[in-house]
Amino acid sequence: MSKRWLAQRERGNRWAYQFMLWVALRIGRKTARALLYPICTYYVLFSWNASKGIKAFLRRVLQRRVTLKDLFSQYHAFASTLLDRTFILANRRDEFDLNIRDLDILLDRVDRKQGCILLGSHLGSFDILRATGLATRNAPIKLLMHQENAPILNEVLGKLDPTMLDCIIPVGEPDTMLRAKECLDAGGLVGMLGDRPLKDEKVVFCNFLGHSAQFPSGPMLLASILKVPVVLFFCLYRGDGQYDIYFELFAEAITIPRDNRAQGLQEWTQRYALRLETYCQMAPNNWFNFYDFWETDK
Amino acid sequence: MEEHSLSDQSPFETEIAQLLVTTLNLKVEPGEIPPLDPLFGEGLGLDSIDALEIALVIHQHYGYKLRSDDPDNTTIFASLRSLCEAVQKNRTTT
Repeated sequence: MSKRWLAQRERGNRWAYQFMLWVALRIGRKTARALLYPICTYYVLFSWNASKGIKAFLRRVLQRRVTLKDLFSQYHAFASTLLDRTFILANRRDEFDLNIRDLDILLDRVDRKQGCILLGSHLGSFDILRATGLATRNAPIKLLMHQENAPILNEVLGKLDPTMLDCIIPVGEPDTMLRAKECLDAGGLVGMLGDRPLKDEKVVFCNFLGHSAQFPSGPMLLASILKVPVVLFFCLYRGDGQYDIYFELFAEAITIPRDNRAQGLQEWTQRYALRLETYCQMAPNNWFNFYDFWETDK
Repeated sequence: MEEHSLSDQSPFETEIAQLLVTTLNLKVEPGEIPPLDPLFGEGLGLDSIDALEIALVIHQHYGYKLRSDDPDNTTIFASLRSLCEAVQKNRTTT
């Protein structure tokens, strides 16, 4: 399963991204947002694989038949967050109306230089975190992520803010987690996404919206090995430039007995899956895992 | 399986192999880890969380702190033998 979304080819090309970027930053947000309508209609009509994944999710969370309008809303929310990413990287924070809750949970720890895992997901936009002022706190922030999934988009956006790439710890290298540890030791934040297994990562099966799905084991394992707190965050897109950002202390410490690791890991990951479920119900159209989340490789 | 017998490993390699098996709860006998096989990906199939645990336990036992900015990391983590050579060279305990 973990490789399926990697296998999906990046849609869109360099020219299209650059054109959108130009429209957004030179002509304006309103015009760029108007362009999202034909773009999203195109995706509803032609992006069948992604639509299949979205439907699998929506059926479970909405408990009803999924309509074309639902699909459109999903693509539109996704495209809007991508567009907003442009403004964040271009340092145009004034474009946003952010409703941030419980940021202190994180700031207290950052100011005490207590390293902490910041666990997000593909529900909503994690880029918006950059607009919360966290980065000005003088604590190192690193993000564990795949770089190869959207190389063209990363290249285009990377030009807007080259420092973005310095924040990324590429996954799948033997020293990936060692780098994460060094950042945490220095009192920094390590951002991870808890819903998508990374390349070659071991997975844990959890009940999610009534069915068994695979979750990555990395976040809970890392937290238990390094004995650092885990703070959850969800940045939910609520319409033009509006985001509700939630921080939540998930665990001050995660203890997993070594001789019963599989069970301990499952229990903690299941707890996370439940929190994710709650936020999914708050904003179903923010689910940006565009593959069948419940399907397993067999 | 002749070439994978215990005799391939030096005594120190067997010691580290034992440490890896205990720490990572591996389902192999320490003597069955071929010293030249890759530890990550194919071979023993370890991942970066395993690498972190190896780094922690090696620091604890031998006082050698593996660092992510060490340019030799790819070589160090390549096989049991290369890992052992790095530990021998950098250990602070005897």
